Amino acid sequence: MIPGDFRTPKPNKNQLIKMAFAGLIGLIVFSGIVVALTFVLSSWLGQPIIFGNEGPDQPIAFPHNVHADQLGMDCTFCHRTVEKEAAASVPATGLCMTCHSDVGDGLEEIAKMRSLYDDDRSIQWVRVHRVPDHVHFVHEAHIRYFTAEEGIESSQVCSKCHGDVKNMEKVKQVEPLKMGQCVDCHKQNNAPTDCATCHY
Amino acid sequence: MLPLIVLLVTIKGLLMALTRRQFLTLMGGSAGAAVFFQACGVPEKELFIDSPIEMPEDLVTGLDNWYATTFKEGMSSQGIIVRIMEGRAKKVEGNTDHPLNRGTHSSSAESMLQLLYHPDRIDAPLLRTGQRGSGEYKEISWEEAIDRLSSQFTSLEQSGEQDKAVLVTDPVNGHLGMVVKKFVSATGIRHMTYEVLEHTTLIKAMDEVFGQDNIPDFDIDNASLVLSFGADFLSTWVSPTRYSRGYGEFRQGHEHRGKLIHIDSRFSTTAANADEWVYVNPGTEGVLALSIMKSIVDSGQVSQDVIEALFDGNSSLLDLYKPELIASFVGVSESKIKEIGDLFVKSEHPIALGGGTAGAYTNGLQNLKAIYSLNHLKGNVGHKGGLVFTPNSPIEGLETTNTNSASEFKSLIDNISTGEIKLLLLKDADLYYGLPDSFGFKEALFDIPFIVSFSNMKDDTASIADLILPQNTLFEDWGTDVPLAGPGYQSVAFQQPVVRPFFESRGDNLGTKSFPDVLMTLSQVLNKNLDLSGDTFLDVLKDGARQLFDLKRGTIQASSFQEFWMTLLARGVWCDVNEKSINNSYVGKVETVPEAKFEGDGRFNLVPFASAAFYDGRYAFAPWMQAMPDPISTATWQTWIEINHKIADELNIKEGDVIEVRSSNGGVITALAMPNPATPPNILGIPVGQGHRDGGRYAAGRGSNVLSILGTNFDDKTGALAWASNKVNITPTGEWIRVPKFENSVPDFPRDEHQQIVEISTGNNNHVGH
Repeated sequence: MIPGDFRTPKPNKNQLIKMAFAGLIGLIVFSGIVVALTFVLSSWLGQPIIFGNEGPDQPIAFPHNVHADQLGMDCTFCHRTVEKEAAASVPATGLCMTCHSDVGDGLEEIAKMRSLYDDDRSIQWVRVHRVPDHVHFVHEAHIRYFTAEEGIESSQVCSKCHGDVKNMEKVKQVEPLKMGQCVDCHKQNNAPTDCATCHY
Repeated sequence: MLPLIVLLVTIKGLLMALTRRQFLTLMGGSAGAAVFFQACGVPEKELFIDSPIEMPEDLVTGLDNWYATTFKEGMSSQGIIVRIMEGRAKKVEGNTDHPLNRGTHSSSAESMLQLLYHPDRIDAPLLRTGQRGSGEYKEISWEEAIDRLSSQFTSLEQSGEQDKAVLVTDPVNGHLGMVVKKFVSATGIRHMTYEVLEHTTLIKAMDEVFGQDNIPDFDIDNASLVLSFGADFLSTWVSPTRYSRGYGEFRQGHEHRGKLIHIDSRFSTTAANADEWVYVNPGTEGVLALSIMKSIVDSGQVSQDVIEALFDGNSSLLDLYKPELIASFVGVSESKIKEIGDLFVKSEHPIALGGGTAGAYTNGLQNLKAIYSLNHLKGNVGHKGGLVFTPNSPIEGLETTNTNSASEFKSLIDNISTGEIKLLLLKDADLYYGLPDSFGFKEALFDIPFIVSFSNMKDDTASIADLILPQNTLFEDWGTDVPLAGPGYQSVAFQQPVVRPFFESRGDNLGTKSFPDVLMTLSQVLNKNLDLSGDTFLDVLKDGARQLFDLKRGTIQASSFQEFWMTLLARGVWCDVNEKSINNSYVGKVETVPEAKFEGDGRFNLVPFASAAFYDGRYAFAPWMQAMPDPISTATWQTWIEINHKIADELNIKEGDVIEVRSSNGGVITALAMPNPATPPNILGIPVGQGHRDGGRYAAGRGSNVLSILGTNFDDKTGALAWASNKVNITPTGEWIRVPKFENSVPDFPRDEHQQIVEISTGNNNHVGH
């Protein structure tokens, strides 16, 4: 090769194989890093950052927007114990039937629910919001505090963590619900931040 | 994945003998991996939430609900409230609204939880497959069980032998009693009522002395003197929860402090609590009572009207009972008899009550009549601080059925032996356990073609039955109660299911059922009309509540029946404290008391006593009750013998020696000796309650059943078993078992082991110890 000659020499067959091999390795390493980062970020944020963040499929496609927004039902009408106990509780199928024994004829999802009720079988809802096993989250205490502090309805408190559920056809998690978020909020509201407040 | 990595790191660490730094680095890596794989998600099963099919409005996780119900126990009952969390019963407390216990409750009420959750409860109808008594059963459906039972009834009816079927129950009352009575009359079968430690003599005495058919409320609360003859009312007699409440007021009330004199041949819990325990020779309680009566009448403080009523004007009958004449016979000094008589006269509100052993001799009825007649002397019937009888129930037919006496059961057994009984139905009547061996029931039962038991656990009798139809327990069932030992005014207590039946998950055709509902279903199958106001027991009960509502009086006032019903269930009891209408003027004549007859010629008077934990053996299934120390001996989990410590020394008997007790009819039991200075030398006290053949894993084969060795002595008048009239002998077996007891289980520390205490003696020789 002479100076000024910018033509690159054609790699020979051997070099080509080596480069292709190196490229492949690079690609694999890069995808590995991307996948790992996705995993770490998903895990850090407590929810998938790519696939699956539209919320899980439920055995019965219950539209929260129809009930909570269009019909104007209060969250506590179905999640009855949210003001009284640690868990918000999913409603009993019997409660659905108070309306749907008459309302909703001809709808496929309603038919599914009715047949489960008739067979004495429970609906296996897929959990959307979940804190780790070693965390105790008491709904009742949070509802009690915020309704008194901000003078708002119980159902408005729900959206602080659960997002705007009444406009979701399919419920998904919108807040990370990680410990950092808990601690930040506890600090803002002068709530205790002792470990034993939640880890007991 | 994560556990695998941790495992690999650990194994690698072990293999490579890592340095601390290397190990920590690797652990950091694995922690990172833990975060990394968190995104893989959680196990799938944790992501599902089962929605309930139905959920009661009042079910809140983590919050308790208390439901009122009624616990019926022999002659009396207690109002209780039960703590329910997430549909499970957790704790029993007393119901403050109930007129008898007013917020207090007994340990036996508490133990009902252990019946509910007992591992040996029967969860479906059982049909015997093996030999009778072998305990081999197979599960059948309720449909088949009712079929089999109804075919028994039908075949008896076809041959016109309905009276060869006998239904034996505990003393039933309330609407259950009503259903039983109607079932019995519709089907034409016989009904008998059985109590292990029967109260027939006591009830008869009430009838003859006061002209009443119930046991009065003893207003101990306001009494100034209680003279108790053999009635262990603070531990087991009639209604200990109510009496203990009264006793608290009697002793520590603000107005006064009453005096309790307990007259008994055994040192019982009540004796231990009394100001004075007076030993009386067994069977002479009535004679002593008449002697006390003599000294009272002699004081001149008794009005002529009363003397007229009691003795037809001539009290010379009492001359036989002058204290000086009978002192040595009854074992109480003349001065003591006069002193008691004097106290009784001077006392403003004295109460004389008797029962337990005093009524369990061949002269039991006369004993009790003499004792209760003392109350007429001070005219304290129907008054504050006296005996207050309860008026009839506001709803007809709710009163307790009369108990059949032991002699009637003896003739039942004779009927069985001659083949006159074809069908025996048993509900809460453990004949196998309660009847003495000398009655011959254990042999005769093989002559009964078909035995049906409604027990919810295999008690001694149920485990020989051909068909077991398990009934619901107290906490799963409906009922009402009008106690025989009432509060002195009208009351109807309601029992409601506080939890769903425990075996509900087994479906409609298995699991347990309510006894009255089974009777009602059976009568439908047999096409008998019971003339009841509904198809289920709950309908009958609601109709009863409606009758109370229609009265428009009492503690519950409501504008609608629904409101009345809900309030009634919430409070657990309806009372009308103003309804006391009763005729208190009846005065029974005083009679002489014959001498008690004893069976056998043994050295000791055998005094079986109702155990504070098991009463008559019915609570032996519960480990809580097994572990409850006896108030006197503190013994648990065993059968023991109370024997005088000096007699024990003489016979070389130590605590824990296994002693054989032999009665004249050949009955033998063994039990552990517990020498006690408070036991009189001629008395051998043995608690009733242990020695079950079956009855669940905690009762079966534990201790001995003292009832089994009793003879066939009956009360002369009532035919009740004279269970305290046996004389027995004892022989040590040479074995020794440590008595499981609460007190004194740690051995004494060695005193002066190294003999460092200096002994100082008097005298010339100034001896100094080591």
